[in-house]
Amino acid sequence: MLHLIKYNIIVKLKNFNVIFWPLFFPLILGTLFYFAFGQMEEADFETIPVAVVSQTDTDTVFIEFLKGIENSENELIHTQEMSEDDARNALENHKISGIFYAGQTPSLTVIKNGLEESILQSLLESYQNGKQTLMTIASIHPEGMEQAVLQMSDYSDLVQQVSLGGKTTDGNAQFFYALIAMACLYGAFIGFGAAITLQANLTPLAARRCVTPTHKLKLIVSEMLASFLLQFVSVLILLIYLRYVLHLDFEGQFSNMLLISLIGSMIGVSMGIFIGSLGRMSEGVKIGILLGISMVCSFLAGLMNNTMKNIVEQHVPIINRINPAALISDAFYCINVYDDTARYTRNLITLSIMCAALIIASFCLVRRERYDSL
Amino acid sequence: MIEINNLVKRYGNLVALDHLNLNIHEGEIFGLLGPNGSGKTTAINCMLALLKYDKGTIRIMGEEMRPDNYKIKQQIGIVLQNVAVFDELTVYENIDYFCGLYIKDKTKRRHLVEEAIQFVGLEDYVRVRPKKLSGGLLRRLNIACGIAHKPKLIILDEPTVAVDPQSRNKILEGIQKLNRQGSTIIYTSHYMEEVEQICTRIAIIDHGRSIAVGTKEELKNMIKTGETITIEAIALEQKHLNDIQQLPHIFELSYHEQILTLRCTGAEHNLIRVLNYLQEQHIPFGRVFSELPTLNDVFLEITGKQLRD
Repeated sequence: MLHLIKYNIIVKLKNFNVIFWPLFFPLILGTLFYFAFGQMEEADFETIPVAVVSQTDTDTVFIEFLKGIENSENELIHTQEMSEDDARNALENHKISGIFYAGQTPSLTVIKNGLEESILQSLLESYQNGKQTLMTIASIHPEGMEQAVLQMSDYSDLVQQVSLGGKTTDGNAQFFYALIAMACLYGAFIGFGAAITLQANLTPLAARRCVTPTHKLKLIVSEMLASFLLQFVSVLILLIYLRYVLHLDFEGQFSNMLLISLIGSMIGVSMGIFIGSLGRMSEGVKIGILLGISMVCSFLAGLMNNTMKNIVEQHVPIINRINPAALISDAFYCINVYDDTARYTRNLITLSIMCAALIIASFCLVRRERYDSL
Repeated sequence: MIEINNLVKRYGNLVALDHLNLNIHEGEIFGLLGPNGSGKTTAINCMLALLKYDKGTIRIMGEEMRPDNYKIKQQIGIVLQNVAVFDELTVYENIDYFCGLYIKDKTKRRHLVEEAIQFVGLEDYVRVRPKKLSGGLLRRLNIACGIAHKPKLIILDEPTVAVDPQSRNKILEGIQKLNRQGSTIIYTSHYMEEVEQICTRIAIIDHGRSIAVGTKEELKNMIKTGETITIEAIALEQKHLNDIQQLPHIFELSYHEQILTLRCTGAEHNLIRVLNYLQEQHIPFGRVFSELPTLNDVFLEITGKQLRD
């Protein structure tokens, strides 16, 4: 197996056409973006105005939580206590971005989807998660309650932890996240090349490999592993380049970004393998499909217009749930802008399921050992 | 070694193999001779379990050939019609890669790869990539990739297409050497001279059927032609043609653009009799050729068309 993987990697590394799109093109585009938009940290971020409507059974801890956020040095939100009617009028007149109802179970009302609304939603989820954690601690380890409450009430820590620093909320950041997503999807070129060399009816090279005593499954797995590895390294190089050469300010944990990159690489490669395994279309047609899908997905994820993802979210949200580029860029957003672990995890799970489905489908198509014609 | 019985392969309405029967013995160089599109490569691909077929059986080394019969695949070396090597790898790496699909042991593999390089005479090109090799050297690399693991059965599908004469001779000598070392060879070609030169038995294939099988002598004995006489730049009248036609052992005569072609059955003094007649009649003539029958004559007589039609 190592013999196969070694040579598969050498073959791919020495093929300029295979390596250009996933590695060099994103580096070039990233550099162009950098000079076009400047650094993320230079961007301004406006404080989000939000109304707080008290109710009969007001959750005072929630009110305190919001004040803590408001008073932090980042000035992420500006709260205004209002009656429900006033708050609704203000929301409809776009004077505020949302209404927090501070009842027994705090809730949020917004009238559109967007970055500010997402941040408010994340704040609410952070609070609810913390509250749930405290309740769990109270029931299982009541002796640790005091320490937990202290930690919960230390809003500055919380604020630091969730990275709502007004740095990476730059609208231009979307370009870079979409760029990384595009780089992941361009792994499809590596996967495509791998699929082509596995089907005896497509190339003489594949035919020669298919008549050897090496099990077809072993050939397929070695190709997939080599492709995943190479693509992951390509995305890693891009991340390192963006972070340490262009000094873009990614606030999230690097390990989390690595995980997205890994799964993103897998989805790109599996997409390529799947398209490469489809029917008897010519290589040119398949490459066209590959490029088309990658570019459309990246476009919808905000590669060319930083508001595109929000526009899609408002009109056809399902696309953002299934567009791999949108899921990858959203996962980056989750860890770099608002620390929404649940959404981050959901994105990764969706990507993993899509990846598994593509790999299984590709395997079923490629594993064929006898052909009707060559 | 290989038994093929009633093999039928259809591509829609086209019958590529029409109840093909072949029996290839261990230790021979078996030639599959036929024009382009006669079904040689299709037969090879069926033997290798790459192609589905509609009917028939294929047994190699006593076992049914299936895609998952890795024991048999281990014993086979294949040199495909199209060069199948990685452009990105050097000569050494290519041979090592393909040998590695058969041989796991690194040390053994290194020896085999070096032997294969020597065998095809690519010692000076080990670090060169295929794109920088000439057509002949590339074909030699293609062969080295197929034979490095020292298989018992080697299938060579038109390995000398587009190869210069020097490389062609080297390849043909190499194939005979492999055979002497113990490998059974199946050699497909539409070059009858090559097949005549190296094959111990030959099957002539046309329209997916085996129309004649045997040694080259056996095949030539199957036909009436024993000698073909050609006389150039000769001016003949119908009377002369009738007289020549009456000479002993001449069974076919054609006269076109001052070239007289005579087909004679296998007998002595055919040429002397014709030349004596021309001298007696004071008929001047140019160059004279006398040829023994070729496999093309065999093909021509059996199918009514030239092998290269």
